[in-house]
Amino acid sequence: MKILELKNVHKIYNSTEVKVHAVNNVTLDFMEAEFAAIVGPSGSGKTTLLNLIGGLDMPTSGEIIINGTDLSKLKPSQLIDFRLHNIGFVFQSYNLIPVLTAKENVEFIMAMQKWSRQAREERTFELLKAVGLEERINSRPSKLSGGQQQRVAVARALASKPKFILADEPTANLDSKAAAILLEIMEKLNHEEKITFIFSTHDPRVVKMAHRVITLEDGRVVSDDVREA
Amino acid sequence: MIRSIAWKNIWRNKKRSLVVITAVTLGIIAGVLLVGIMQGWVEQRMHDAVYNEVSHVQIHNKGYIDNEEIDLTVQDIDLIEKELNSIPGITAWVKRTKVIAMASTPWANSGVVIYGINPDAEKRVTEIHKRIVTAGGSYPDSQKSGEILISDKTAEILKLKQYNVTDKVIETLREEGVPSAIISKLDSLRNVRFRSPVDFTEELHKRLNSKELDKYGMLIMDKALDYRIRNKIQVTLADSSGTPVQGTFRVCGIFKTNNTGFDQVSVFVNSEELSGILSTNKPLIHEIAILLDNIEDADAVKEKLAAVNGNNAVQTWKELAPDAALMNDYMVLYYFIFIGIIMLALAFGIINTMLMAILERTRELGMLMAIGMNRKRVFSMIMLETIFLTSVGAVVGMAAGWAITSILGKTGIHFSGWGEGFEAMGYSARVFPVITPDFFVFVTVMVIATAIIASLWPARKALKLNPVEALRTD
Repeated sequence: MKILELKNVHKIYNSTEVKVHAVNNVTLDFMEAEFAAIVGPSGSGKTTLLNLIGGLDMPTSGEIIINGTDLSKLKPSQLIDFRLHNIGFVFQSYNLIPVLTAKENVEFIMAMQKWSRQAREERTFELLKAVGLEERINSRPSKLSGGQQQRVAVARALASKPKFILADEPTANLDSKAAAILLEIMEKLNHEEKITFIFSTHDPRVVKMAHRVITLEDGRVVSDDVREA
Repeated sequence: MIRSIAWKNIWRNKKRSLVVITAVTLGIIAGVLLVGIMQGWVEQRMHDAVYNEVSHVQIHNKGYIDNEEIDLTVQDIDLIEKELNSIPGITAWVKRTKVIAMASTPWANSGVVIYGINPDAEKRVTEIHKRIVTAGGSYPDSQKSGEILISDKTAEILKLKQYNVTDKVIETLREEGVPSAIISKLDSLRNVRFRSPVDFTEELHKRLNSKELDKYGMLIMDKALDYRIRNKIQVTLADSSGTPVQGTFRVCGIFKTNNTGFDQVSVFVNSEELSGILSTNKPLIHEIAILLDNIEDADAVKEKLAAVNGNNAVQTWKELAPDAALMNDYMVLYYFIFIGIIMLALAFGIINTMLMAILERTRELGMLMAIGMNRKRVFSMIMLETIFLTSVGAVVGMAAGWAITSILGKTGIHFSGWGEGFEAMGYSARVFPVITPDFFVFVTVMVIATAIIASLWPARKALKLNPVEALRTD
């Protein structure tokens, strides 16, 4: 089932002197439960493409359709609400709320979606168990390692049962052991929860595990390889 | 969840938050004390105005208000008495003769207003009988004749207040622990009579240094003070035909209220005796003073009494003591001005702290907006954070302010240096701060309003963040 479509998407940044074509005529489809990596050299447009898919930035032209909804048709307030209910984010620097515990960080999105307390607690425990942090539910981010924080971030991204998760270089700040654990968890969740994962990455370990690898160069898709799962 | 995050956020940078909380606490304490002192003065002035000077309602002949002629007496006394006895909520009422006279002693004279009263009945309406000064004799006795009650100020003017360092005074000072060195310096003043506090103070200044005066000056003045009780005062007034008549009274007592203006002109004698001097069959009634159970009933009682006879003027305490009424009516405005200025100054500190907090959390705010926290929630979080930050200081400040005010409300604050100035305006030099629950409700509303206003700029700054750019911030 198709959950995300990009049709002739362009993103041009107009600086005072030069126009930067960050994303150039990208057309892509993503299906349910894909585990896809967007790769390419620095400045190739990976993060910009991820921002466009996540509705954090709007394309200069072209259409981005998520589950039948054209993002360009949404008002800013609707777009925020749309992100809350449809897209999960994992950031390179974890970006957890430092004053909240692991449990509260995961619960936070569900609280904004107005889940009942009981449903929130059940889902939180289930997710923190899935990322192997059921023993650390009451720890604040400052008491967790980088790898553990990123696992909480993954649990938070999954909490609201989004259509897909966008992960911007999720392993960039992790050592190899922590990165391997995180990737294993994400692959397992992708399989069990049937949620699409889209990574932007330089990390060859992520590329190796991905079922689909999209390569960008100067904002264009130069290859789109689908592998056997 | 937003509430929980907002509360936890204020403790992220404890030092910075504590600086703001301390500033708010000190500001609120200052506000509570200022307003407490102001309220204390207003209540004292209100109390004195009602219980020493004008009561709740007064009746005069309409003409007497403009021209205090002796024959302008209250009309239809019998009907008024009947009405007064039928109106519920009246605590007590008295009839008074009130005439302008000249009071003289062999050493001085002064214009006064003589109140012809029934001393026993008067006790039910005024508190003058409770204002007799130490060593100042006693309140007039209804059974005794020829007595006059004058004030400390009148005694001073008529030279009936003197300072005399007698052997007994020296003995008392010794008992009070005044050192012999100082007592020996007073030897040259022994048994010398001073009829003015200024003259006596000057002599003390010549003999004692400023340190000795600070420590013992008040005590020496107190002990050396001697009122010439039983001294005669001659009063001269005009009877109803305009002929000057005279009477002689002996000083039975000295009173002192917080209003020098009232004290300076008011003397009290038995109305029957005054009637005798004026050669009238019975006391002339120029004034009826009425005390009510509830001050709020003054207007209603006025309306009923005014209907009895159109030639009488019925006035409430607000008309009779407009200064006290004005202060009372404008108290809320004073609250607003005092607390408003304090909160305005604090608002800048709060805004600065919140702007710094927003700047430090740019990436986190970007992340929150990226994952779906809408503008309303971001605004609420920052607003709540500001309210919590301000409220913590406000609660501590109100509690501390209340505690300090409660203690000072019992001990009082003595503005001794400015005593004469305050008393000239009717305010006591010793104020007992008072804080009402209304004030705390007012402060709470002001604090929340300030916090909301102070949160607008930081919140706007946060709302203007672009999540993509904010997420790139280090």
